[in-house]
Amino acid sequence: MSIYRRIGKILKMGTLVSTLGLIATVSLQIFARFFLASAPSWTEEASRLFFIYAISFASGIALKNNSYVGLDMFYNMFSARIRKVLDLLIPTLIFALFGVVMVYAIQFVFIGNTERSPSMGIRMSLAFSSIFIMSITICFYASIKIKSAVKNLKK
Amino acid sequence: MIWILFICFIVCLFLRFPIAFSLGFSCLIYLLFKGIPLIIIPMKMYSGIDVFVLLSIPGFIIAGNLMNQGGLTEKIISFCNHLLGHIRGGLSLVNIGASMLFAGISGTAISDTASMGSVMIPAMKKEGYDVDYACAITAASSTVGPIIPPSVPMIIAATLSGLSVGKLFLAGAIPGLLLGVGLMLVAYVIAKRKNYPKHARSSFKQIWKGFVDTFWSLLMTFIILFGIIGGIFTPTEASIIAILYAFVIGRFVYEKLTFKNVQVVLLSSMKTSASLMVLVGFANLFGWILITEHIPQMLSTEIVGFTTNKYLVLLLINIVLIVVGTFMETIAALLILFPILLKVAISVDVDPIHFAVIAVLNLIIGLTTPPVGVCLFVASSIGKVSIAKVSKAGFPFLMVSVLVLILITLFPSLSLFLPELFMD
Repeated sequence: MSIYRRIGKILKMGTLVSTLGLIATVSLQIFARFFLASAPSWTEEASRLFFIYAISFASGIALKNNSYVGLDMFYNMFSARIRKVLDLLIPTLIFALFGVVMVYAIQFVFIGNTERSPSMGIRMSLAFSSIFIMSITICFYASIKIKSAVKNLKK
Repeated sequence: MIWILFICFIVCLFLRFPIAFSLGFSCLIYLLFKGIPLIIIPMKMYSGIDVFVLLSIPGFIIAGNLMNQGGLTEKIISFCNHLLGHIRGGLSLVNIGASMLFAGISGTAISDTASMGSVMIPAMKKEGYDVDYACAITAASSTVGPIIPPSVPMIIAATLSGLSVGKLFLAGAIPGLLLGVGLMLVAYVIAKRKNYPKHARSSFKQIWKGFVDTFWSLLMTFIILFGIIGGIFTPTEASIIAILYAFVIGRFVYEKLTFKNVQVVLLSSMKTSASLMVLVGFANLFGWILITEHIPQMLSTEIVGFTTNKYLVLLLINIVLIVVGTFMETIAALLILFPILLKVAISVDVDPIHFAVIAVLNLIIGLTTPPVGVCLFVASSIGKVSIAKVSKAGFPFLMVSVLVLILITLFPSLSLFLPELFMD
């Protein structure tokens, strides 16, 4: 299996596990509120953590599947050559943007090392790492789009 | 310096950058010019997404997709056909009626156009309806969805303003019904004039069977609504209950859901949610920049300096929102403009809940406004007919939507009656 497919599988698995975790923790919260003497205080925090991780894992896959909405109207007016250039420029700038986010997300993770979440008591760096993961996944799929756009430009 | 932000954003949009990344890139350029430490980007993205009520968005999207995978669209259409098919131009009424029922499950206009359109447009074509008309009515009817609860744009509006999700859901109910009924009336008049076909009247037994088939899915909307309004669940809890409910119904009642299907639904729903949440994260950063530059206050002062007439201000806002909604995706436009315009609206004594309904209605009308309304594109690509023809056929429906918007703007009680009745 190619590295590309392997990473894709890991991201899909990460998305599924985090989403199921989110559903399970909120379900537990509802169950505890209705059927137990008191609801655990950590469920809201845990569900937010699962949610942000699910989003981070899925954000790259969303780029791969062109799920981010843009304006097509003006693009369709450009010549085929300009469109090919834009097809290269857009993922390149996305890569640059998330490259910057990735670098500063590392600093953000370090800040989180000194903080702990109020209910679960976990280091906030764990939660803040989600933005770093999001940046990596988006950069990964942007780089694949760049590669394909370069090939297309040469044709 | 703020102009760099706007110019960069607009240039990126024109070059077909995804809106989320246009926001992010323009913020990055602005921060570099201003010399603001770039660590603010991950910080603001995180704080924008880390909001409990936002968890309800993937929840409702997953529940809607699970129901759809369980064969719900066909069942709703079949039920509406038994109910309305005997009227002249019955399928066009079925299209609107089914969208109103489906609205309670999908919550977004584009998914409604895609799922209803793929069934209804070929069916209407087969029965002799003009294809441009079939596409136009499918696009128009799908705009009812984001107003009738549960509504994803309303959840976003609640997150941005701190308003109650339950109150916003209720506030959208009467405007949604008005829009649906208005569209049905116009569709009926057109059908009479063009002599579109009608079916034989269904027997009570057939209507009852259709009702029983769709009952479980319709019940989901009621569970969500009454759970939130009654204070039994939070919106996030309601969305998770909707997922569990949709799974049980799809697996054990409709018997169409397999574990493989569920996996596909979860992944595709999370992709949609992720694209929205990256947008939310960057919009939070964008909003922070606008606030530090005092843009909402400046705009509010400018508009109030021009006029303090509440209705004139609302007219201006309506025009701005319809134009923006035509070009930009609903959630993106809401994220960027709602906090700014809400401040302006409040300064001329407009109720925030009333304003949220006006804003969402405006932006969804934009989805069917030529030349670039997204729903028009989706419907025209399903029907394989030019967007110009669909736009022309959709003009009477657009006028109905604008008329409903005017009514909602002039009569706040249409939006505020239900929230005041049930939640105050």
